[in-house]
Amino acid sequence: MKTIIEPFRIKSVEPIYFTTKEERKTILEKANYNPFRIKAKDVLIDLLTDSGTSAMSSNQWAGIMQGDESYAGSSSFFKFEDSVRSITGMPYIIPTHQGRAAEKIIFTILGGKGKYFISNTLFDTTRANIEFSGAEGIDLICEEGKHPTIPALFKGNIDIEALKKTIREKGAENIPMIIITVTNNSGGGQPVSMQNIKDARAVCKEYNIPLFIDACRFAENSYFIKLREEGYANKTVPEIANELFSYADGCTMSAKKDAFANIGGFLAMRDLDLAIRCRNLLIITEGFTTYGGLAGRDLEAIAIGLQEVMEENYLQYRIRSIEYLTNKLIAAGVPVMQPAGGHAVYIDAKAFLPHIPVEQYPGQSLVCALFEEGGIRSVEIGSLMFGKYDEAGKLLPAQLELVRLAIPRRVYTQSHIDYVSEVIIEVFNNRNKIKGLKITEETPMLRHFTAKLNPII
Amino acid sequence: MKHIIRKSWAEPYKIKMVELLKMTTPAHRRKAMLEAGFNTFLLKSEDVYIDLLTDSGTSAMSDQQWAGMMLGDEAYAGSRNFYHLEEVVKEIYGYKYLVPTHQGRGAENILSKILIKKGDIIPGNMYFTTTRLHQELAGGKFEDVIIDEAHDPGNEFPFKGNVDLEKLEKLIRKYGANKIPYVSMATSVNMAGGQPISMKNLKELRALTKKHGIRVIHDMTRVAENAHFIQQREKGYQNKSIKAIVKEICSYTDGATMSAKKDALVNIGGFLAINDWDVFEEARNMVVVYEGLHTYGGLAGRDMEAMAIGIKESVNDNHIHARVGQVIYLGEKMIEYGVPIVKPIGGHGIFVDAKKILPHISQDQFPAQTLAAEVYLDSGVRTMERGVVSAGRKANGENYYPKLELVRFTIPRRVYTQAHMDVIAESTARVFERRNKIKGLKMVYEPKYLRFFQARFQPL
Repeated sequence: MKTIIEPFRIKSVEPIYFTTKEERKTILEKANYNPFRIKAKDVLIDLLTDSGTSAMSSNQWAGIMQGDESYAGSSSFFKFEDSVRSITGMPYIIPTHQGRAAEKIIFTILGGKGKYFISNTLFDTTRANIEFSGAEGIDLICEEGKHPTIPALFKGNIDIEALKKTIREKGAENIPMIIITVTNNSGGGQPVSMQNIKDARAVCKEYNIPLFIDACRFAENSYFIKLREEGYANKTVPEIANELFSYADGCTMSAKKDAFANIGGFLAMRDLDLAIRCRNLLIITEGFTTYGGLAGRDLEAIAIGLQEVMEENYLQYRIRSIEYLTNKLIAAGVPVMQPAGGHAVYIDAKAFLPHIPVEQYPGQSLVCALFEEGGIRSVEIGSLMFGKYDEAGKLLPAQLELVRLAIPRRVYTQSHIDYVSEVIIEVFNNRNKIKGLKITEETPMLRHFTAKLNPII
Repeated sequence: MKHIIRKSWAEPYKIKMVELLKMTTPAHRRKAMLEAGFNTFLLKSEDVYIDLLTDSGTSAMSDQQWAGMMLGDEAYAGSRNFYHLEEVVKEIYGYKYLVPTHQGRGAENILSKILIKKGDIIPGNMYFTTTRLHQELAGGKFEDVIIDEAHDPGNEFPFKGNVDLEKLEKLIRKYGANKIPYVSMATSVNMAGGQPISMKNLKELRALTKKHGIRVIHDMTRVAENAHFIQQREKGYQNKSIKAIVKEICSYTDGATMSAKKDALVNIGGFLAINDWDVFEEARNMVVVYEGLHTYGGLAGRDMEAMAIGIKESVNDNHIHARVGQVIYLGEKMIEYGVPIVKPIGGHGIFVDAKKILPHISQDQFPAQTLAAEVYLDSGVRTMERGVVSAGRKANGENYYPKLELVRFTIPRRVYTQAHMDVIAESTARVFERRNKIKGLKMVYEPKYLRFFQARFQPL
């Protein structure tokens, strides 16, 4: 059968409020042309992020009701610990209120001026946390990953040769860790192959550098390995995930993605000394070691979600629904990242709006156009998010100008997705009318969250 | 006319959902205690009968709050639960700007980083562990300006949380007002035993700080409990509502850090509130790095909703009357049994004087730690040490020997019944009766920082 149906039915619904195009124009203007500033009630289809926006299962909600809110030794913590251990095989599990808190802890300990963190691609908050510590982040995506519209199987891979070269240049002693992000979010939700992780492991071993996984979307990545990599077709997703983590010394995880939780994250590692240092910091900024700033019920929901996400019926539906939207757009000639990634559709804004120069943020302009046309909220992953200024104040643009339509897990139906594709195609057909933007107000770090912009007339 | 205080404190609610408890045998408890190294923090919660470790995040939410949980808007940006919370904070506390955080220490971290410069002095009415740590990490130094009565467990002064204004003035003269970014003022001072500050003292503090252009930042985690004591004890407030008193307290301050896990009846959540736009803007930018975008601050939407509803419930007169009434009921029972406790009885727990109960155990043998272990062994009641173990070591490696060796019995809000209180008092009395037979402990494992969380002990 061709149609892949959802391996669940709906148990509770949340109403969507409709707006007219005229209303949306005003909303956009009031939000200073930044979707992060729009109130959620004014959004029709919210594709801003797949983080924390999942629909939990009835089992998870039952777990929520069973949360043990004891400050120390909560039984929900032990369930959480068992669940994370069963997947990662790592002995030391540290809960945090979300992924960036796990990053904050590890980079505060290992970062600092003169240090380099090398990755396939670091995500925005990860990079911010590294830079906040005084260290520098280096992205070494493989060649295939740099070309949005040319399909390849594992566009999230790290460039192994470049990795060796960079280690020699910067000195292994200045590199506290290598981070592999699975799947590669900023690069289009593209998977990393098991072979690539093994190769990175070998390099790390040679230079005695720890390998960490940014594991937010480990299940989606594992499923891609099953589908695309030789020798994995007959393995189960838990087996593949186990193997993937077996090559790593530790991981950070935002449970708001591949654990269907609305809040939560963790750090896991094999080194007891490092774990002790992390726990000392945890108590200061997050909470005691057996709750890490989370309610007991949230630990419970994560423990259950982590197991649910590895079910193959779910992953088949998940990957297939992203593919469905991507293929619709490809058929209409919309330039999108190919092949489809695991959690989002990425539109190539540079190709979509060739008349808007990068200094006028084509990605953000497209984001605004999609909102105005159909009330869809998306996010720019381009020069607004990652751009910097040189000493003369000139914009140093990002490598790619993308617009991400992140699909929340188990939330929207096929008709929602059909509507989304119609809106995008409508905007595409009238793309020449779209104008660029200029920034009127910004902060030095993570400016895309709060920046204010204005259309260039 | 004297306000007549109702003696009964019947709960203004009935029970809608229960959590089953495991009853344990003495043999089971002995085994669990051995495994936990005689440290109550290391006990598994399933081995605990009545858990009085903390009142933080352990409240029972109301059906209204649970209904709010189902209305969580989990949008990453602009969640409607955020706007609801913002509105409630403005209405109940009167602060202009709000930045949510995943819990109180998240707000302390951000505020300390924004307001404190290296070499600054932060005066306050007694330290609290995490608050002081964040002030120190930001480069500041904490100076205690609480009145002397607060350090004497037997002194029954009604407002032992007051600031000693002379001490504060002396500090201002010594360092200059420009070295003091703010006064850290807590309502219901935790380390003093949940002792309140009076409105009169607060007004005077406002006048003094205004004269010198110094901010007052309010550690407001138990503000409603403080308001209750003002209503019961301070002239002119008998006929005012808790809601009005809370708002008046906040009006004498410039901003606040809040752990909503106490008064506000939630299991997770906190915030930073401030009247100064510039500080707010900086906080909003910083919260993204540490906590989450400024419209969720590291919280699920549902938790912001539960917080908004919990804040409103927390300033209800009947609620607070029953809350503090229950604590006082337990304290009075203990006094009846002759158990020495810190007086007057505070708002959120009973602090038992372990030094007085176990005079034959020296501080090097950890009397409060020993007493906490004994109470657990007797009945499965989990309490917390607040003495030499919690105080830790000085920079030169010597132990701090605090004046107080206390065991804290903290009462979670709306969770336990009067019968539970009776069990706690009876168990403490039983341990008290055989106090002469109790032997001390020796420490066999000591972590480098905050040792009370994870240290291990053996009986002598």
